[in-house]
Amino acid sequence: MSGILEVTGLETGFGSNQILHGVDFELAEGRTAALLGLNGAGKSVTLKTISGLQPAWKGSVKLAGRELVRLEAEDRIRAGLAHVLQSKAVFPALSVDENLRLGGAMVKDKQRFAANRERVMEIYPILGDRRSQLAGSLSGGEQAMLAVGRALMSDPRVLLVDEPSAGLSPLMVSQLGATLVKVRESGTSLLLVEQNVGYALELADDVFVLEKGRVVYHHEAKHLDEKRVASLLGIGELLGSARNRRTTRPKRKPPARKKATKPKKTTTTRRRSVR
Amino acid sequence: MAAKTLEREPAVRTTFSLSAPRPSWQVGLVFVAFAALSPFLGRALSGPFNGYHALILCFGVTYAMAALPLNLLMGYAGQISLGHAAFLGVGAYASGIIAGRLGLPFVLGLLVAMAAGAVAALVIGLPALRIRGLYLALVTLGFGLAMYSLVFRLRAVTGGYAGIAVPRPKAGTFEFSNNMDLLAMVIVLFGAVWLLDRNLMRTKVGRAFLALREEEDVAAAFGIDVPRYKIYAFVLYGAFAGAAGSVLGHVIGFAQQETFTFDFSLIFVVIVLIGGLRSRSGVALSAFFFGASPRLFGFLHDWVLLVAPALVLFTLVRHPRGLGGAIAEIQHAIRGRRSAKIESDDDEAAGHLALPRPVATDTRDVEKPLVVGDVVVRFGGLVAVDGVSLDVEHNRITGLIGPNGAGKTTLFNAVSGLVQTQQGQIVVNGVDVTKMPAHRRAAAGMGRTFQQIGLVKDLSVTENLLLAQHRLASYDPVSALGFLPQVSRGERRLRERAAETLSVLRFERYADADLGELSHGQQRIVEIAAASLTSPGLLLLDEPSAGMSPAAAEALAERLIQIRDEIGQTIFLIEHHLPLVMATCDRVHVMDSGRLLTTGTPAEIRRNPDVVAAYLGGRAR
Amino acid sequence: MGTILVIGIATGAVYGLFAFGLVLVYKATRVLNFAQAEIGAFAAFLTWTLTNPVHLPWALAAGIALAASGIVGMAFERLVIRPLISASRLTLVVATVSAGLLVGGVELKAWGGNPKILSSPFTFRGPSIAGVVLPPPRLVALIIGIVAAAVAAWFFRRTTFGLALLAAAQDVVGVRLTGIRLRHLSAFTWGVSSVIGGITGIVIALSLGAFAPFFMARLMLLAFAAAVVGGMTSLPGALVGGVAVGVAEATIAHFWISVPGLVETVMFGVIVLVLLVRPSGLLGRAA
Repeated sequence: MSGILEVTGLETGFGSNQILHGVDFELAEGRTAALLGLNGAGKSVTLKTISGLQPAWKGSVKLAGRELVRLEAEDRIRAGLAHVLQSKAVFPALSVDENLRLGGAMVKDKQRFAANRERVMEIYPILGDRRSQLAGSLSGGEQAMLAVGRALMSDPRVLLVDEPSAGLSPLMVSQLGATLVKVRESGTSLLLVEQNVGYALELADDVFVLEKGRVVYHHEAKHLDEKRVASLLGIGELLGSARNRRTTRPKRKPPARKKATKPKKTTTTRRRSVR
Repeated sequence: MAAKTLEREPAVRTTFSLSAPRPSWQVGLVFVAFAALSPFLGRALSGPFNGYHALILCFGVTYAMAALPLNLLMGYAGQISLGHAAFLGVGAYASGIIAGRLGLPFVLGLLVAMAAGAVAALVIGLPALRIRGLYLALVTLGFGLAMYSLVFRLRAVTGGYAGIAVPRPKAGTFEFSNNMDLLAMVIVLFGAVWLLDRNLMRTKVGRAFLALREEEDVAAAFGIDVPRYKIYAFVLYGAFAGAAGSVLGHVIGFAQQETFTFDFSLIFVVIVLIGGLRSRSGVALSAFFFGASPRLFGFLHDWVLLVAPALVLFTLVRHPRGLGGAIAEIQHAIRGRRSAKIESDDDEAAGHLALPRPVATDTRDVEKPLVVGDVVVRFGGLVAVDGVSLDVEHNRITGLIGPNGAGKTTLFNAVSGLVQTQQGQIVVNGVDVTKMPAHRRAAAGMGRTFQQIGLVKDLSVTENLLLAQHRLASYDPVSALGFLPQVSRGERRLRERAAETLSVLRFERYADADLGELSHGQQRIVEIAAASLTSPGLLLLDEPSAGMSPAAAEALAERLIQIRDEIGQTIFLIEHHLPLVMATCDRVHVMDSGRLLTTGTPAEIRRNPDVVAAYLGGRAR
Repeated sequence: MGTILVIGIATGAVYGLFAFGLVLVYKATRVLNFAQAEIGAFAAFLTWTLTNPVHLPWALAAGIALAASGIVGMAFERLVIRPLISASRLTLVVATVSAGLLVGGVELKAWGGNPKILSSPFTFRGPSIAGVVLPPPRLVALIIGIVAAAVAAWFFRRTTFGLALLAAAQDVVGVRLTGIRLRHLSAFTWGVSSVIGGITGIVIALSLGAFAPFFMARLMLLAFAAAVVGGMTSLPGALVGGVAVGVAEATIAHFWISVPGLVETVMFGVIVLVLLVRPSGLLGRAA
């Protein structure tokens, strides 16, 4: 089965510095995938190469079977992609409404535009309250919502979100997460890049782990090999705490607050390994 | 592929080797020798040449002399002057007044021209310091136009439209009336400027200029007083431009308003660009061509304004490195291929655990090398650091962790002095640095590394190590110009330390390689070594393991422990790579949303549910 | 007093219009177009050629000249600015400066250094206000300025394209991610500002009587002063700044007519002062 988004053998870099060494993965339609990895593994670069902000040296990016890799970013957006950057930047000197208008600039049909707008307002009612306010005067969390809302104005088939949790307070992060769930439920396929593993695991159906520019592990989130993922991400000690919460995942209800975890076996080998 | 910019292109470096530059007395000797020889030189050359050609060559060399200071300003210090003609004019008129009207010796005229140029630069530069490059362009443009339209037209001062005659230079009773003699003298003066420029670039001043151009924050962290060095660059530019203007006046024979037009200024910008920023030889060649050829081939004159800008545009878009780039490529080819980009850093990083001995300073060992008291940092409406108080213990490794956006790097920047605090106190090694500018805080005994490697990628590894020792250089910027003996000594010491560091790290073979050619892990090691070498008190490391493989990160952990145990320094560390934190830190502070969440040993932190929640988040509390 | 004011406003309208073009490009692309003046001069020269040796009707000649300047501007945007899109501001300054030089060089080659006289198409003397005759070219410039301001106000806020232009100056990548073709925006802006340059070039040429290559250099300084005073990111500010500069110039010319170049020097001082004290100008927002 071919997914809505197929990335094959993607390679790119800056100058003589190669970052992606052949990234392969597939996003199935209607599902959410999380791209995890250490800093420097190439997660953000992957998203940028998919959306066209970073030119690809080699490889293919197909959206619903259509090859995008030779297209400019603007054309890929028109083809049905949307990309929310890590900065969650909005146009600060324009109003919320004007921001959204620009987000839907490619939607020529008035009715579709109105329908998209309504959907965005439903997911982010606060934007409706702040319609004529300057985007730059919104709080960080509200701006993040505007950024995603703006991306949704074009009703994309695939939404790329770069580290939704970055730079936001925990409360905001959880609110944003809830809205992303709603986005997913409305049929948009999501590709997230995240450093915050627990957060990613809550939202994602499928997990891909990136290391040094290649996908080294991928699996359904439900049946993840935690040890393997933890060691790839270097957070062995902390991931255990997340394990307890995952049993209630199907309902997506916040589980009972877990008590202090049992102390893990100290991996003494790490401390004193002699070379 | 986007065109490389003026800043990001690889440096067209003059060849760097560990041999020291010529001290000033040697320069002086050469100068005097040539000056004494020049009349004979003139006689000797007058066989094949006739006087007219000599004059043309004079123009060529004078243009070259005039272009070098602009190259210093634009190529090294990364600033721009669109009023170059005005500075030249100042010099020419100064000579006109001193040597012409007042009949005083031409050397005096030259000196006054230099002083006038320097003063003009100071006057313009000081207010323009706060203005970034773009606006500086406007200001210098305005200066050029103002001088042209007002000052150079004032009858009383500058002889109005007719200008002032600038007679041939006189040395005692000998007059340089013969074109050949003039040429010899011009060559000598050009040579002097060339040597001074070359020497300057081999001192801390030159390196500081280059750092300014690239990363002002990094420069400040090395103790470079950024505003002051910007002014130095500008004043030096003004002085040498004034000198060149004086010579130009002598060569033309008079100082006149119509010479120093806006397009004359632009011609020099064009010359520097075509010659290739920072390439002395390229710039000199290109200037020579512009100066000599229109007069040699008269018809070219009309085409200059057509060809030159077209060449510049072509250069900018297609070949940003210009003529100098072409020269550098040839140099590279002659010297043979350098080591290709190093691929894996795992083995390299792991193998060599030695670190250089830090330079002894007199900062005292206090119990808490860093105390942060209730610091608040605000950017507009956003509170990045919200009343954080913490401390770092002597000879311990202290970690600072927290989710993205928690304010960790902002806190570091506040400690380094790179961002302003609205509230609170910062005490480093017992000294309250809260009100100190960034470059002075380094002197309190604090070193810093940056998330993106805080070194200049275009400079060689050795040059970076020299740059890092900026504030340890025992000489002051003024003596650097003259390259007095103390400068030689100071430089030699810096180079010795750099060489020692390289040998201890076993990086000798990378000594002359551009830093950018090393792998990320190796660059990081050089950066940490540089910080450790120059700042024995406190090391602030901002995500040193970023982008490293787990194996390299482990090796890094070893080095950090070594720094603590064998060298006795104190480390304050921002990290995302938790195994590294767990393995190295004696104590950990956790930040979240601008506040200090908790503090404890790694074991305590690991068990703390709030910390776990902050990292894994996604839940309403 | 009234005389000074009228003269000031009349000349200021031209400065303001030119500054408007500068700010337009700056707002949308963050580039200071140092070449706008020479493109304006080019338009004047072209009009001269089309009306003198070639006897085209004046309006047609001017129209062709303006179209040509628009094309030159767009060509420059396409060939130089766009490849340098991620370059430093310094690089871009040098690029536009060189472009201006190049156009000037072309003028020198094509038309020579001797001054030309552009014959005025206007047969009437122009209205008389406060005892001062307002020359028709100035009147035209004033009218165009007002119309331009009105059109801009409508355009920027009401149309998606205009909104995208404003947004592009705030966040270029963000605009790309909406699917809007940035290159069209950029080309459009440069084209419009070049035409504005052309209009001012022709107007100034008419006012000066005789003009030679690089005659617009002085205007550059004054218009930059206007843009800086008004705020580099404020379009209405540019017009207001222009009038302010015009009035200042008229005042200086009136009282200190014997001192040459005083106006330029004062303007230079003004630029430095504003940049020091209030870099965002009167009406601009922090850049």
